[in-house]
Amino acid sequence: MMISKLRIKQSLSLKVLIINIIFAIFIATIIGIFVQNRVASTVINEKISISKVEAAGALYSAQRYFKLARFKDDKELNKVIQDFIALSREDGFFSGRETVILPIPNLTKNQSVYQTVPTLLVLDSISEKFRDQVTKNEDVSNERITISYSDGKDFPGFIIGTKLNIPRSGTYEIYYLFKLDAQYQSIENITWTLVFTVFLLIILITISTKFVIRQVVSPVQAAALVAEKFTRGDFSSRMVVASNDELASLGNSFNEMAVSIQQQIYRLENLSMLQQRFVSDVSHELRTPLTTLRMAAEVIYQGKDSFDTSIARSSELLINQIDRFELLLSDLLEVSRFDAEAASIDLTTFNIANLVKRTVDYLHPTKATKLIIDSPNESIPIQADQRRIERILRNLVSNALDHSEGKNVIVRIAESDNEVAVSVRDFGLGFNEEDAPFLFDRFWRADPSRARTRGGSGLGLSIALEDTKLHQGQLLAWGSPHQGAHFVLTLPKNHGTLVQSFPITLIPEDKLSTVKE
Amino acid sequence: MPLVMVVDDDQDLAEMLSIVLTGAGMEVDLVNRGDQVMDLFNSHTPDLVLLDVMLPGIDGIEVCRIIRESSMVPIVMLTAKGDTQDVVLGLEAGADDYMVKPFKPQELVARINTRLRRNTKVGSLSILDLVIDQLEHKVIKDGKEIALTRLEFDLLATLAKEPGRVFTREALLSEVWGYQHAADTRLVNVHVQRLRSKIESDADNPEYVLTVRGVGYKAGAAKAQL
Repeated sequence: MMISKLRIKQSLSLKVLIINIIFAIFIATIIGIFVQNRVASTVINEKISISKVEAAGALYSAQRYFKLARFKDDKELNKVIQDFIALSREDGFFSGRETVILPIPNLTKNQSVYQTVPTLLVLDSISEKFRDQVTKNEDVSNERITISYSDGKDFPGFIIGTKLNIPRSGTYEIYYLFKLDAQYQSIENITWTLVFTVFLLIILITISTKFVIRQVVSPVQAAALVAEKFTRGDFSSRMVVASNDELASLGNSFNEMAVSIQQQIYRLENLSMLQQRFVSDVSHELRTPLTTLRMAAEVIYQGKDSFDTSIARSSELLINQIDRFELLLSDLLEVSRFDAEAASIDLTTFNIANLVKRTVDYLHPTKATKLIIDSPNESIPIQADQRRIERILRNLVSNALDHSEGKNVIVRIAESDNEVAVSVRDFGLGFNEEDAPFLFDRFWRADPSRARTRGGSGLGLSIALEDTKLHQGQLLAWGSPHQGAHFVLTLPKNHGTLVQSFPITLIPEDKLSTVKE
Repeated sequence: MPLVMVVDDDQDLAEMLSIVLTGAGMEVDLVNRGDQVMDLFNSHTPDLVLLDVMLPGIDGIEVCRIIRESSMVPIVMLTAKGDTQDVVLGLEAGADDYMVKPFKPQELVARINTRLRRNTKVGSLSILDLVIDQLEHKVIKDGKEIALTRLEFDLLATLAKEPGRVFTREALLSEVWGYQHAADTRLVNVHVQRLRSKIESDADNPEYVLTVRGVGYKAGAAKAQL
């Protein structure tokens, strides 16, 4: 029920079809019932008026018959009435008329009931009420009745009754009963014909509706298909305009819109491509002179012992700044690659615990950085791009060392069934809540006036976040002023799956208890 | 003194390279155009070629391919794009190693020295029926000598020296290429493929250099021993 409702809602053609069929059934039924009623009443009334004329004729001849009749006693009267009835039967054979003569109590000496023979008519068919009406009125009465026979057959019928005066015998009731079964049979036939016609009409309307729907809806469906294609990125798809009607004008407007969108997209694509190409080209073009610069600086630096102190120091600064410049350049290039969505992922399976150890050792071989591995396994294999994961870790650890103010930095690794988490906790300056949204922004600095100790590029965290996204991982940060910061990297163990649980919570363990209180 | 041919169109960089290499005790030939390489190469055979990828005339990758047609001399490519197709194309064209600009001069010298260093170990090694003659620097299979570059030879000899050991790509990078910490493992993959195409009967089902999935490579052993 729900499904079919849904399908009707989803399909315009089904909706139109169903509405049309319901209307067709409704109208055809009303017309059918109306026609049937009119036909039925006409047929019946016609028969009744004919019957009345017939009855009037029959009554006139009956009265004349009895006026002329001669009888001496009841026996002879009986004979006369029987003859009359027999005559009447012959007379009414074709119109299915029954004749019944009943004596009226008190007014009639003879108490016999006469009816056309052979007949099995049940006298109860004539109701007491009607008889009452006939005996009390001088006029001819009529009524619709059911004519019952003693063999169990019932017929719809019509009764005309009046009083009959038989000389020297008294007043009788005379009834003419007309069967209407032939009329009802005709009405039934007509009804069936009507039903059949209505049915045929509905089928015809259904077919014609379908045809009309196809004329109107199929271009709409085609338009929807084209629009869908367009949405999916096929900007060259256009509607076919083959006529001159309203649908054609829809198609034309759509196509105009498509052309305009396509042009706009091409323009923007071109613009951003040019810009990214430019950044990439600049970065590459800078590399050759930077190489020469670096080698020259190194040569000068190697000979610094033979220079006086200011020149020797200058050569040191030169080298440091070349390092920094190089870092900036490679980070810039990486960012432009992310912007161009040209970053590719080179998957291998490796032990991330080892990589973390190596990164910590590399960045911080002397000072006491605590490394906690929170896992029953020495080895935590993960499927990822090792170069990128190493870069994330380096960025996080060096960022923490940068801001630790010489205090401890704690690096933790933990795993769950499908995720690995690495957290880096420092107890340095931390950051304000209002700074949190900008933490991963390019070139963002918590305190612009603060001196830089290590001279990162300012792109490190932003690149780390992009690298994390590439692995469908999560990189979250917690921080509090003068209480330090906590960065948690959560990665799925298998590439292509999503992070579903977090082995390390974002709020650091040492703060967790205070938060709970 | 070893002779190094420096092929670079940037005059200043070429000069700086020659200063650094001369300072490290090498002789240097400078070439500015790709299409001039072979003339000098044939008349003045270098011990190593330092080749920039972007060159006027013929590009570095094509130069590399031309040199490899006739010579097994070590080739180190210089590239500004360390992450792109350039590196793989250069390695597949026969380069032994590559340096991404900007590099430190010490690193360059160390890398060149690794490539120039003759394998001083004496004696003969073997993997199955493959004979590796370290003295003569020859690899013989079915009585025929197979021409390998020095790097390919070193790679094969390193694997053959410790038959049971599985070498990770990082270990091979440090033993064969002289890298101190993990660098680009594509170097290893590309050269193993080149080596296989030369020594294996069927490179898709290698017998001599086997892949250990998820770890690295090892020398092939007789089936009975497995």
